[in-house]
Amino acid sequence: MKFKTILVIILFILFVCSMKAIAQKWKFPPLPPPSQYGNLLINRTSEKKGEKAVTFSHWSHRTRHTCRVCHFELDFEMKVNTTEITEEKNKKGQYCGACHDNDKVFGHTKEHCKKCHNGNIAYGEEKFKDLDPIPKTKFGNMVNWVEAIKEGHIQPKQTILDEEYEPMKFNKLLKLESNWTMIPPAIFPHEEHKQWLDCSNCHPDIFNVKKKTTKHFEMMYILEGKFCGACHLNVAFPLNNCKRCHPDMKG
Amino acid sequence: MKREGVFVIVGVLVFASVVFAQTFGVKKRALKADEFGNVVINNFSEKNDIAPVVFKHWLHRLHYTCRLCHVDLGFAMEAGGTEIREEDNRNGLYCGACHHKGKEAFPAEKKHRSGKKTKDCDRCHSYGKDVKFEKDFYESVKGFPRARFGNKVDWLIAEEKGQIKLKDYLEGITIKRKALKIPLDTEIKSQELGMPDIIFSHKKHAVWNGCELCHPEIFGVKKGVTVYSMQDIFEGKFCGACHGKVAFVNQDCQLCHTKEVY
Repeated sequence: MKFKTILVIILFILFVCSMKAIAQKWKFPPLPPPSQYGNLLINRTSEKKGEKAVTFSHWSHRTRHTCRVCHFELDFEMKVNTTEITEEKNKKGQYCGACHDNDKVFGHTKEHCKKCHNGNIAYGEEKFKDLDPIPKTKFGNMVNWVEAIKEGHIQPKQTILDEEYEPMKFNKLLKLESNWTMIPPAIFPHEEHKQWLDCSNCHPDIFNVKKKTTKHFEMMYILEGKFCGACHLNVAFPLNNCKRCHPDMKG
Repeated sequence: MKREGVFVIVGVLVFASVVFAQTFGVKKRALKADEFGNVVINNFSEKNDIAPVVFKHWLHRLHYTCRLCHVDLGFAMEAGGTEIREEDNRNGLYCGACHHKGKEAFPAEKKHRSGKKTKDCDRCHSYGKDVKFEKDFYESVKGFPRARFGNKVDWLIAEEKGQIKLKDYLEGITIKRKALKIPLDTEIKSQELGMPDIIFSHKKHAVWNGCELCHPEIFGVKKGVTVYSMQDIFEGKFCGACHGKVAFVNQDCQLCHTKEVY
């Protein structure tokens, strides 16, 4: 008898905790100013070695390069501080050093330290206004990056290592039925993603290719940084933009 | 007793949810070029108080075909699947085919002219040890054609160009057979609408594998009988027996799905 009551109490506590967790999770992460959306401070070893953390801006890099170049060709991981970038590797032409070599762009040399190692997440804000001519969206950088390519405002490179690279001819539009009855389906275009990404950026780790498994892509998981949330939480347009994936949503 | 049982179940559930929560829907860390295809063999090592073996595919494929080990020497296709014992090696089986008497490769035990014996255990039983190896991966593959994944080396072209010369036969150890005529390229229809079809080259595969590594166990030989999906392949079946573990990985979609579809 006593044992049963203990079990009931444990289950009740677990239930309350999980409800609390759900309520908290449904809050979208707070959005920084548009000019700082997608900006990171990389501080794996910098401060330990007496340098300031590196500021990295996704928006300034994506005007010239697609996600694929860094996250596939240059082996950058998808989470900050998980890539083993070192000064030595940069100087050997790996990671940042693939471009930042004092030839293509400023290099990893003394006079340029503060351009990256400045610990200032808002660094380079003044250049954000250069993006003004690009069509706007509501959240994130408030820049419609997909339209930016379509209208020719930017021509980000898809490759820097493989001249023969051509994206695969596969343009399937997926209709992902919603788990909740009142919510219209999400529409997923391969075409728009392909302009930025390599197949391998998503398949098969983030999304396996098995049919009829899309029902597992719940918003709860996405909010934890899984599935679409790998990018659409803090780099690609944020989840606040419901209608961009669920186009038939009202309001 | 009952209470302990419940605690165990709750514990397992919590543990499972934590583990499961981390292993789907997120990107895995990609292996470094020198780690790809490395296999740890630990059937009996730790039980016998010696470090497990780290087997490097890249090092062996600089000199030998896959077929030589996986058919002629009888190595299984999964790490630990062969259950190699020290005794086997001493009898000239498995690793011992080359690493015993020391004609083809360094022997595990060397007998010097003075009558002194030295052992070279660490070069294979190296897991968790800081061993200084004779050959460095990046030095060994310098100048080789580049690939997108895995070892980041296009082994196929390296072989075609003659940068590596592969032995398919070991004098006194294996038995030579006359090669069969290689069948033409096969077209494999994609199951997904709009996905380019696959052109499968028997010729390119046969250089490394002969026929018998794949047929008839992994792939039957009757046309259209073996049906498989990408998911099966990702799980290590069919093409996935090699591609993803040792040969170029399955994320390299365009390498197989090459035929234009209109």
